[in-house]
Amino acid sequence: MSEAGPSLITIFIGMVLVNNLILAKFLGLCPFFGVSKKITNALSMGAAVTLVMLIASIATTLIYRFILVPFKVEFMNIIIYILVIASLVQIVELFIKRTNITLYNSLGIYLPLITTNCAVLGVTLINAQENYTMLQSIVSALGGGIGFTLMLIIMSAIRERLEFADTPKSMRGLPIAFIIAAILSLAYMGFSGLI
Amino acid sequence: MWIIIAILTAVGLICGVLIWITNKTLPKEPASLAKAQEVSEHLPGMNCGACGYPGCFAYAQALSKDKKVFFSNVCATVLQDNTMLGGIEKSLDLVVDKNAMNKKAVVCCSGDCEKIGTYVGVGTCKSASKILKGFKKCPFGCLGLGDCTHVCPQNAISIDVDRKIAVIDPDKCTGCGLCVKECPRNIIKLIPADSKVVFRCSYDSVRDIPGREKCESGCIHCRKCFKACENDAIIWNKEKQIPEFDLSKCIDCGACIEACPKNVLTKLRVDNSKKEKVLSK
Repeated sequence: MSEAGPSLITIFIGMVLVNNLILAKFLGLCPFFGVSKKITNALSMGAAVTLVMLIASIATTLIYRFILVPFKVEFMNIIIYILVIASLVQIVELFIKRTNITLYNSLGIYLPLITTNCAVLGVTLINAQENYTMLQSIVSALGGGIGFTLMLIIMSAIRERLEFADTPKSMRGLPIAFIIAAILSLAYMGFSGLI
Repeated sequence: MWIIIAILTAVGLICGVLIWITNKTLPKEPASLAKAQEVSEHLPGMNCGACGYPGCFAYAQALSKDKKVFFSNVCATVLQDNTMLGGIEKSLDLVVDKNAMNKKAVVCCSGDCEKIGTYVGVGTCKSASKILKGFKKCPFGCLGLGDCTHVCPQNAISIDVDRKIAVIDPDKCTGCGLCVKECPRNIIKLIPADSKVVFRCSYDSVRDIPGREKCESGCIHCRKCFKACENDAIIWNKEKQIPEFDLSKCIDCGACIEACPKNVLTKLRVDNSKKEKVLSK
């Protein structure tokens, strides 16, 4: 596992800013709008996604390297990844529920919610597509998770302020959130020359 | 072809076996959690947060640890529903006096307070109360911009367009108390649901109104209601100089309501003839 690729810092910055999962790749939009009403919720969701992304990308990289590539069935990665990620999340949830009930309560419904989250699946598929090594995929998953959390926090901070703003009646709630997301995405495109 | 099927089956099987192994090897969940699960089945499950806990399951956990929580942080929705209340009583081994605990929210302001200016800012009570303590002469008067109407899960609150204050429909109100927390002037109060008379003023003589005149239709602390009551159902609170009601003695005669020179005392259920003028949200 020592083929040359982009350096770890490039991958990390790329995942956090340039190829941000939400604003540049448009993955994981449902939690982006669903859980971005309060900063505290956004933080727990971000933490849960980052955790699952890390575990999932470690597992899927192992499977990709030692099962899919040797048997030349790389095209099967989507269906196998779904299976593996779903059961991994299940195991993690069971583990947290039985060992640390406080943590389980604070993560609440978010863990089962991200079982089939497209952002998690997206990171693992990007890892496979770019043929990242184990270390590279861990860094890319970490970057993806942090970028996702950052986006959720920015969005929830804006939406908390919007609660007090005098928005026109037809724009209240989700419509104005969609417009904000579009403007944020435009702003994020400014990072595209960074790497 | 066969290798694909084999791989997919193998991965699925391994995943299943792994979940089974973790399920078996990990310690069982604590007993209090199973109890909380049982309690939460009798809760409404709306996660409104009015009881002070983040969601119904957290409330159920608190209840399963200490059943006295039901009295300190009561769930208003359960009180309204006999099947849910019965279930809670059974699983927690409680006896609940429903009538004593049931509450209704009332807006303690009868409106008609003079304005000190025209307010054209952001249309919420929260913003309006930040500027000069609100645009009404009395700083304890309802601003009528309707912050409370948005939080009410039962749509029980509407704005009376004539008097420009919020009114709560006591038939729809479940007494959850969400509006009490929302009101920036703290003039919504929870009173026992079987109250007959409501004191609709939040000004008591302990509170000073700096640099402002008191409202024309507010309580003038004249004690007429106290004297009019023949059953000693009205207790005069000497500290605050306002009337308080003893529900067990009140016979709903209406003498105090007639005696009040400022019409601050009203019945809990105001007659419905006025309802046509009420602007629903």
